[in-house]
Amino acid sequence: MTATLPPAAPVPTARWLLEPQVGLCACAPSGRRRKGTYVTRTIDAAAGVVRAALFAEDAAAQPGLLQRLDARVKLVTLLGLLVAVSLVQQIPVLVVAYAATLVLAVLSKLPLGAFVRRVWLAIPLFTGIVVLPATLNLITKGHVVVPLGSWFGHRVGMTAPGLTGAARIVLRVATSVSVAVLLTTTTRWTRLLAALRALLVPRMFVLVLGVAYRYLFHLLGSVTDMYEARRARTVGAEDGRSGRAFVAASAGALFGKSHQLAEEVHQAMVARGYVGDARTLSAFRLRALDVAWIAVAVVAAGALVGLDRGL
Amino acid sequence: MPSEPLLEVHDLHYAYLGRFPALAGVSLTVEAGEKLALLGANGCGKSTLLKVLDGLLFPDAGTYRAFGAEITETGLEDEQRNRGFRSRIGFIFQNSDAQVFSPTVREEVAFGPLTMGLDAAEVEARVHDTLAMLNIAPLAERAPYQLSGGEKKRVAIASVLAMNPEVLLFDEPTAALDPRTQGWLIELIVELNAAGKTIVLATHDLDTLPLLADRAVVFGEDHRLAATGPPDELLADHDLLLITNLALRRR
Ligand SMILES: Nc1ncnc2c1ncn2[C@@H]1O[C@H](COP(=O)(O)OP(=O)(O)OP(=O)(O)O)[C@@H](O)[C@H]1O
Ligand SMILES: [Mg+2]
Repeated sequence: MTATLPPAAPVPTARWLLEPQVGLCACAPSGRRRKGTYVTRTIDAAAGVVRAALFAEDAAAQPGLLQRLDARVKLVTLLGLLVAVSLVQQIPVLVVAYAATLVLAVLSKLPLGAFVRRVWLAIPLFTGIVVLPATLNLITKGHVVVPLGSWFGHRVGMTAPGLTGAARIVLRVATSVSVAVLLTTTTRWTRLLAALRALLVPRMFVLVLGVAYRYLFHLLGSVTDMYEARRARTVGAEDGRSGRAFVAASAGALFGKSHQLAEEVHQAMVARGYVGDARTLSAFRLRALDVAWIAVAVVAAGALVGLDRGL
Repeated sequence: MPSEPLLEVHDLHYAYLGRFPALAGVSLTVEAGEKLALLGANGCGKSTLLKVLDGLLFPDAGTYRAFGAEITETGLEDEQRNRGFRSRIGFIFQNSDAQVFSPTVREEVAFGPLTMGLDAAEVEARVHDTLAMLNIAPLAERAPYQLSGGEKKRVAIASVLAMNPEVLLFDEPTAALDPRTQGWLIELIVELNAAGKTIVLATHDLDTLPLLADRAVVFGEDHRLAATGPPDELLADHDLLLITNLALRRR
């Protein structure tokens, strides 16, 4: 059986601790400066994520069009619009659909620049890499409109059908991501969870999402604390390599720490009666605006698909 | 049974991960309306016992009875049981960081009453009153994880008080608070107790002990109880305080 720790300091305090440290305290500036290293940048990045999440909460509090809708209505109609967008083939129709998401963003008082950037930053990563090769005549046959040179004696270039296909995919993804961003930035996280619960998403799933969100903040807080603690104990300039070694080592510690915290957060929720139902202060109500919105969404989805078939 | 104690644990054993013992044969009763303090050195098992009392950890061996029924993990899976138990007993964690998880202070305080199933108007009223009572109304729209340590503690306390439980478990309530807020919290605990609430708290603060408790139990380093009695008596027993690491040995 382990006993508790012995009373503090039965061992005499080390002599060096009781004497002032000589020579290291060159507190005057030396004129040499260094840009922040990896480690410093990590702290800033952590702070950035918190800021982005707060931006979402701010946007959700604006008195815009989408913010005023019932969360369940919003979730279902936007999902419906996503399906409609995925059925559309014609590029002009997709352009119209994308433009419509921009209009919705403006009506919901979202900063348009940030909204567009958020969507288009995500696209090259996920889509560009997949789509680019498909524009080449090696994969999609057709008339080469953008010749790129020759490769093992074959003429290589982008074909007209390849480019059209790529534009279709990119536009469709952009529109879908925009719709998703519209939903998540105009809805408080707790209301979204409550809406998921109301729509019969399994309790356990909603519970995990709820804890994960709270947990994200703590994790970022821990990262910031750990790096700051390290920075406070780093004498002199930090070099990149030891910074990276620290990152590797601290990831493990962080995992242990955050696991324990997640456990406590969950206990705290259970202690106050949480069994997986997210409830919110304001009750769900279906109002005139919601009904009007449902009508608009149904007509819009029908028009998109109809227009697409008609063209 | 008219004279059954409110809470009763018998021969509790608990080890974290089956390897790190935290409780090794603890028996204790809590009577309705009393103020009971748990004393002991760091790591002796106070927080663990409180978590067992709150139905968050379940003993490896031994029994726990609360409000006349045995509390078990499977028993608490019953929704009605769970709701009844959770609304009668509240727990203010040692680490208030863990305890605040909602996007705003207002929602944090509303969380418990909402899970209890109170209607919206009642929840609004309770949130309003608790925020005012704990003097945190100006923080209502802030995110709880952006507050200072002491402010977080108040939010944590508010979030539990809003449920109006009849038993309150405090894990080191006065840690992280400035002296004035400490004084205020001590008064609040005394007042709540006078209003009929049962209080169980873990503390290291021997100075305020006589105010905060009618009775105290002292944990030994072996994760068992070493003594029980009125605070004055325990505090006068210098040998006991020495062997339980609660008093300073002169060097
Ligand atoms: N999550 C955990 N995993 C493993 N061991 C743990 C964990 N939490 C606590 N322990 C161990 O269980 C024992 C009792 O811990 P507990 O937190 O109950 O002590 P405590 O009396 O509240 O101490 P303190 O006064 O420092 O808060 C300690 O030996 C501790 O090391
Ligand atoms: Mg403790």
